[in-house]
Amino acid sequence: MAYEDRAFAEQLAARGVTRRDFVKFCGSVAAMLGLSESMVPTIASAVESAAGSKLYPAVWVNGGACTGCTESMAQATYPDVATVVLDILSMNYMETVMMAMGADAEKALYDTVNNNEGKAIMIYEGSVMKGWDGNALRVAGEPSLKILDDLAPKVAAIIAVGSCAVDGGWVKAGPNTADATGVSMYLAEKGIKTPVINLPTCPVNPEWIVAMVVDVLLLGELESGAILGKLDAQGRPKLIFGQTIHDNCPRRGHFENGEFVYQFGSPEEAKGYCLYAMGCKGPQTQTNCPIVRWNNQTSWCVESGSPCIGCGNFNWVDNGAPFLGRMRKVAIGSGSHNGGFAPGVAGAAVGGVVAAALGVHAIGMAATGRLGNMPDTEDVKEHDRKKGGDK
Amino acid sequence: MSHAYTREMHPLAFVVSHWTNLCAMVFLTLSGLYIHYPIFPGFMGAARGTHNFWMFVLLINLVVRLVMGFTLKTSKLAGGREKELDIKNFLPQAENRHQLWPTIKYYLFLKKEHPLGGKYNSLQKFAYVLTVPLILLAAYTGFALWGPTSQWSFFLAGTTMVANWFNGGVGGAALMPMRIVHYWTMWAILSFTFIHVYLANIYGFDADRIMFAWKETGTDHA
Repeated sequence: MAYEDRAFAEQLAARGVTRRDFVKFCGSVAAMLGLSESMVPTIASAVESAAGSKLYPAVWVNGGACTGCTESMAQATYPDVATVVLDILSMNYMETVMMAMGADAEKALYDTVNNNEGKAIMIYEGSVMKGWDGNALRVAGEPSLKILDDLAPKVAAIIAVGSCAVDGGWVKAGPNTADATGVSMYLAEKGIKTPVINLPTCPVNPEWIVAMVVDVLLLGELESGAILGKLDAQGRPKLIFGQTIHDNCPRRGHFENGEFVYQFGSPEEAKGYCLYAMGCKGPQTQTNCPIVRWNNQTSWCVESGSPCIGCGNFNWVDNGAPFLGRMRKVAIGSGSHNGGFAPGVAGAAVGGVVAAALGVHAIGMAATGRLGNMPDTEDVKEHDRKKGGDK
Repeated sequence: MSHAYTREMHPLAFVVSHWTNLCAMVFLTLSGLYIHYPIFPGFMGAARGTHNFWMFVLLINLVVRLVMGFTLKTSKLAGGREKELDIKNFLPQAENRHQLWPTIKYYLFLKKEHPLGGKYNSLQKFAYVLTVPLILLAAYTGFALWGPTSQWSFFLAGTTMVANWFNGGVGGAALMPMRIVHYWTMWAILSFTFIHVYLANIYGFDADRIMFAWKETGTDHA
C-alpha cells in the first residue's frame, strides 16, 4: 500500500504522525477487534479512504454525566493517530465543544438524526436519569429522556460510553434518588431495539471508541450484523472486556509470589508489589486496561500505584466500595449505602455464635450428667407409649 | 460411654472418604482464608494451587461417597451388624418415625431418656444430607469466581442473580457478591463441622476410633 492519497498523507503529516505510526495504530485496532494482522491493510485503507471522502453523521449526547468521558476523549496533548479516525465522524452535536447554542444546537441534533435515519451513530455519555418523571435532568427545557425517546429508534447504533451510560455508573450508586440507569436498560424498558454497544469504565478509554468506530462504520460490521456476535451478554465487546485486569497485570508476578503492599508508604509499595491486600478489584474486573493503558498509552491506575477500584464493573460503586477494602459491606436488597455490615465479621459472628451455643450446651450436658455418658435409651417411642396409653 | 460402634456401621471405604473430607475441609478453609486476605506474605501461588487441588478432591470424593451410598450396605442400627443399603440411613425410616420432636426435646434437656432411632437420629439425617447441597453451593460459587469457568453462562447466570439480590435488582454481573456468598458458605460448612465434632464426641471418643482408625468399641471383637 503506497501513499496513494496525498491529502491523507498531508493529514497525517499535519498531526506529526508518520506512516509507520499509522500502520502500527491500525495493528492495535485490529488486535482490539479480534482481527488478524492480515486485516491491518484493510483497516488502513478503510480509514484512509474514509478520511479522504465522506463524513459519518454522529451525535454525542450527554445524560447525567460529569463530562469525564468527554475529557477522556480530549486527553490528547497533541494531535495523535486516534484523531485521524475520530475526524471521520461528523460530530454535529456535542454539548461540551460545539459552537452552536440554544435552539440551533438542538435543531442540529434532531436534523442530524432525522436526515440520516438508520445511519447516524449516537454516542451516549452519562446515566439515563428517570427520577421525577425524567425531570432529574432537563436539557433544552425538556426532560432529557425525550432525546432518547425521540432519537434512539432512528439511529443505527448507540455506543454507550463510560459506566454511567452502561448501567448508571456512580450516579446510580445508592441511594440513587435520581433513579439513574443505563442506556440499554432504559431502551429495554421502552421496547426500543436499537443495538447498544457498552463501553464501561470511568471514564471511557478513547482507544475503545476508536476501535468501535472502525468496526461499526468502516468495516461494516453493524450492517452485516457481525458486531452483535462480538458482544458479550452485557453488550460489551468481548475482546476488550473478555479478560480480567488481573490476567494481564504487570504486578501479577508479585501476586503469585505472595508479595503484597499492606500499607501505603511502606517499602513494599516502593518495590511495586501487588496491591491485592489494599483492596485491588483487578481480579474481578474485566477490561484490557493493562494492555491498552491510558493517556496515549502512557500509564494506567495500577501502573501508577493505585489499586484498581473496579470502575469497569457493573454497579461498580455499590459493589466495590470501600475501594481499599477486600470486601464491600452488605445490606441485602438495598446496596451498601445504608451502612450494612462487613461480610467477614458476619461470617465469624455466625461461627462464633454456633461455637458459643455448643459451649453452653456442653455445660448443660455436664450439669445433667450426660457428658461422656449417654443416658439410657427409651424402651418405647413416646408416640407409641401415648398411643398405647390411649388404648 | 455410648452404644457400640461396629465396622458394619462404617465400612473401611467410609473411613477413607471421611479422612479425605477432613483433609479437604482443612486445606480448603486455610487456603481460602489466605486467599481472602493474605495475612502474611509469600504464599499466594501455593494457596491457590492448594485450594484448586483440594476442591477437585472434595468434589470427586462427594461423587464417590454418593455412589457408595447407593451401592454399599451398612448397618441399620447404631451398634448393629444387620445391614441394608447405606442411602436408606439418610432417608426417613420406620425407626425414626415420630422421633424428630422427641430428639429435639432430648437435646434441649426436656427429655431424659435417649430417643430410639435408626443408625442416625432425625436431626443427624437432616444435617448430613444438608452437607451435600452445601458442598455443591461452595463448588458452584467457587467456579463462578474461578477465571477459566466464570464466564460460562451456567455460572454467569448465578453471578448476575446474586449481584441483583445484593443490590436491589440492579447488580449486573459483578463478582463481589458471589465472592461474599462463597465466603459465607465456608462459615456454614464450618458451623456444621463444629456441631458435628461436638455431638460426635460428647459421650466419649468411640466414634473417633471407628471413623478414623476403624477400631470397633463396645462389641465382642473390641
